[in-house]
Amino acid sequence: MKKNYHLYLGKAEHLTVMSEFLTRGWNVAIPEVDIGDDIFVVQDDNGTLRRVQVKTSTSTARHNSFSGQFNVPLTQLKNMANIPVHYVFVVRHNDQWTPPVVIRQDYLLDHLYNDNIGSEHDGNLNLYFSYSTDKVECSGLDLTKYVSDFTDFPLIEE
Amino acid sequence: MEAIRISVNKQMDGYTFSIAPSIRQLIKSWFPNSYPANNIFVAYDTKSDFEHYYGKLESYIYPALLGVDNQSDLNKKVDEIQFIDTQTGKVLHSHKVTA
Repeated sequence: MKKNYHLYLGKAEHLTVMSEFLTRGWNVAIPEVDIGDDIFVVQDDNGTLRRVQVKTSTSTARHNSFSGQFNVPLTQLKNMANIPVHYVFVVRHNDQWTPPVVIRQDYLLDHLYNDNIGSEHDGNLNLYFSYSTDKVECSGLDLTKYVSDFTDFPLIEE
Repeated sequence: MEAIRISVNKQMDGYTFSIAPSIRQLIKSWFPNSYPANNIFVAYDTKSDFEHYYGKLESYIYPALLGVDNQSDLNKKVDEIQFIDTQTGKVLHSHKVTA
């Protein structure tokens, strides 16, 4: 595999996620200075801003399923600003992207405090997502309701 | 009786007060007519001006954040409101509720 392939994979998924937002009628921008947010997503007519962080992983095959591993910096996760971050988790599996798991920061933080999702290591929250035919799980927690959950990004047609 | 935790995040220009989705769900289950908010942002200058005239901001923030009309109903369910620094986990302010 090409050296630094993960950088190519990460950028490819950024662009894929950006394309999804554009399809929904939201404008997108990449911040000139990288201070943690990957994508700014904006509703043009009223300036509503959403911050998006894309997390990409390659897959690891398991019996009847596969998994993906993600790291979320804890300082960023705990930094609840007035505009929360939407985390978008995607795995590259069998030359295809999995449907995005979209979890807003306050919900992920809630899962950390109340459900002990993931494991904390070296300032990061390590998340192992397990994908089976009809389910996405992490630390025994069913995350299926977050799959393609674009509730905060409604389709803008007019 | 329960203690409600309100997260406080200090930013460059002010404070963001927020409650977790599970707390919003709990408040909704107790009071179906309530309107708990995700977060409230208060700029540093607004906070200091407010406190100069009216007193501690936190006492006014939690009713707005929890969105419960009837304060005495809330007092029957909650005995303490804690304001927690999200980065350090320290209790910045504690408001004892009297039933």
